[in-house]
Amino acid sequence: MTVFKGYLKIIKQNAPIILLYVGIFFFITLMIQAATKQSMDGTYQAESMKIGFVDEDGGTLAMGLHEYLEKYHQVIPMENDKKVLQENLFYGNIQYIVKIPAGFEEKCLKQDEKLSVTKIPGSYTSFYIDQQINSFLNSAKTYDAAGYTVEETVKAVNGKEEPKVTMLDEGGNGGVTPGYNYYYRFIPYMMINVLCYVLGSILSSFHKADIRKRMQASAVSVQRQNLEALLAAFLFGLFLWGISIAGGFALHGSEFMKSGSMLYYMLNALIMLVVALAMSYLVGMLTNNINALNGIVNTLSLGMGFLCGVFVPMEMLGKGVRTVAQFLPVYWYEKSNDLLAEFGTVTGSIRVEIFQAFGIQLVFAVAILCVAMVVGRRQRLGS
Amino acid sequence: MIKINNLVKSYGSLVALDHLNLEIKEGEIFGLLGPNGSGKTTAISCMLALLKYEKGTVEIMGEKMAPDNYKVKQQIGIVLQNVAVFDELTVYENIDYFCGLYVKEKGRRKELVEEAIHFVGLEEYVKIRPKKLSGGLLRRLNIACGIAHKPRLIILDEPTVAVDPQSRNRILEGIQELNRQGSTIIYTSHYMEEVEQICTRIAIMDHGRSIAVGTTEELKSMIKTGETVTIEAAVLEKEQIQAVRNLPHVFDVKYESQVLTVRCTGAKHNLVRILNYLQDENISFGRVFSELPTLNDVFLEITGKELRD
Repeated sequence: MTVFKGYLKIIKQNAPIILLYVGIFFFITLMIQAATKQSMDGTYQAESMKIGFVDEDGGTLAMGLHEYLEKYHQVIPMENDKKVLQENLFYGNIQYIVKIPAGFEEKCLKQDEKLSVTKIPGSYTSFYIDQQINSFLNSAKTYDAAGYTVEETVKAVNGKEEPKVTMLDEGGNGGVTPGYNYYYRFIPYMMINVLCYVLGSILSSFHKADIRKRMQASAVSVQRQNLEALLAAFLFGLFLWGISIAGGFALHGSEFMKSGSMLYYMLNALIMLVVALAMSYLVGMLTNNINALNGIVNTLSLGMGFLCGVFVPMEMLGKGVRTVAQFLPVYWYEKSNDLLAEFGTVTGSIRVEIFQAFGIQLVFAVAILCVAMVVGRRQRLGS
Repeated sequence: MIKINNLVKSYGSLVALDHLNLEIKEGEIFGLLGPNGSGKTTAISCMLALLKYEKGTVEIMGEKMAPDNYKVKQQIGIVLQNVAVFDELTVYENIDYFCGLYVKEKGRRKELVEEAIHFVGLEEYVKIRPKKLSGGLLRRLNIACGIAHKPRLIILDEPTVAVDPQSRNRILEGIQELNRQGSTIIYTSHYMEEVEQICTRIAIMDHGRSIAVGTTEELKSMIKTGETVTIEAAVLEKEQIQAVRNLPHVFDVKYESQVLTVRCTGAKHNLVRILNYLQDENISFGRVFSELPTLNDVFLEITGKELRD
């Protein structure tokens, strides 16, 4: 097992760089998670606006509307000074103006006259307040028609219970992306970086023409040398995979274990490991210059990271970018990861879709390996 | 030990080995001497079955050499032209790694590695990584990696290229010591002095062919030159040069850059005769050299060009 031990010794020499990348990975993951915890992702909250309220009536119904709007918004009483009102609207101190004319009850309830409002044209918030005012007035008209007094109408409308908002949950995650999903999103970056850099540098040493000659002339068969090298690379890969999985459990232990998709996440990461191993083999074949290797590894890991949804969620990427990304293996890893985020319970067609993405990743791994073998063969013939 | 018959190897239209024939006996230090591109390294690669060849046979230790003949490979050590070690491993770990490709037993391997370190004089550097070693020390490490498993046959391909004189002498002495310990050595070089110094038999190669084989004396006796006399003379007329050419045993005269070079056959008193002539003619001269034939002369006479062309 000389070749195997040789690989492990060289991997040990690279321990600082491995720790550095693993550290960067955990740091970025924790940062992203801390940031996303504060975001509104997967939750609902009604918007609150600033409304300028000009009351020229001062009656019970006008007070009732004031009270009603105050439940949702900040209502600021204002004088009917056109210039002041326009200025406040222009500078954003208020986003909407409601003018209650004298004789409001008579005009709006009995004569069906429209309420005068001033708003920012085309803004969704104005539309939102329009809806609320209409809702108040329609309810008031209904109660009035039913013979309620104005006081009773106001009391009834303002006492109505608001509908409760429940998020549509098609996938089983309650509309919330679980924290461990963010964690798993970053795994390809770490795996490609660490494996391509560490194994790439080892492979490039082993593929130096003179070392290869010395190895070929030795008493250990080339097949055995390759087998031992493969075993060492896979063992290192498994170690890295183990660290990633252990990190996931450490950060999201019980939540992750309770999730029905735990094994899918782990399997997805294992398949990504196979892809990263194949990539590291190709990178090792391409160069034996450590600076060039650095450049190639960074281009690969960052390029795939940005194009395939590691750093930027895939739904934020343009259609063109996503089309290009389909020709990269990390895209399919992230696609599985997104499906797992969306559907907490993996069943039927979703399972098929996830396994398809796993399969495509494996096809990429085989294709990359074939390219690496062709490159290796060309190099051998060349030397 | 080694029999090479009619070996032919081409790279496209370039014929690197052209019906090469060699026979190397056990216990020899056999030199392959030739200018760069003469086919020495290709010959070594074919011997080790690292390269496929179009025609011919290679037999080592009585067996046909093939890429999967590990029984024979087990008994061969190679030291390549370029240093072939891992930058990530220390001196000790490198020797241990390459020795481990031949010797599985840990205790025995430890002994062999320590012996190899002692042999090349790298005791003080065992924990150092190759990048911190000087060129000479690197070459010694390269040799240690090739010989640690005590092979019966050691092939050294230009092991002294770009090495300082001190390290070079140490390497050459080491090769002779390995031979005394029982290893057969094949030594390729384009430095004729080295080959002359250590090799018991030499094959001179040119254009992929072995153009002459024998001991140094045998090779030198193959050629006409017995002595080369070189004299610094300020002015010489054409008639005087012709007169020197007509002296007994002189067969070639050159006068370039005020240096007269006279090649003579192996007869005695050539130098005295030439100096007497110059004195008789009142020709003033400076430094005078007399050299016995070298391997360069052998190469020059056979191929018509200098070994270092």
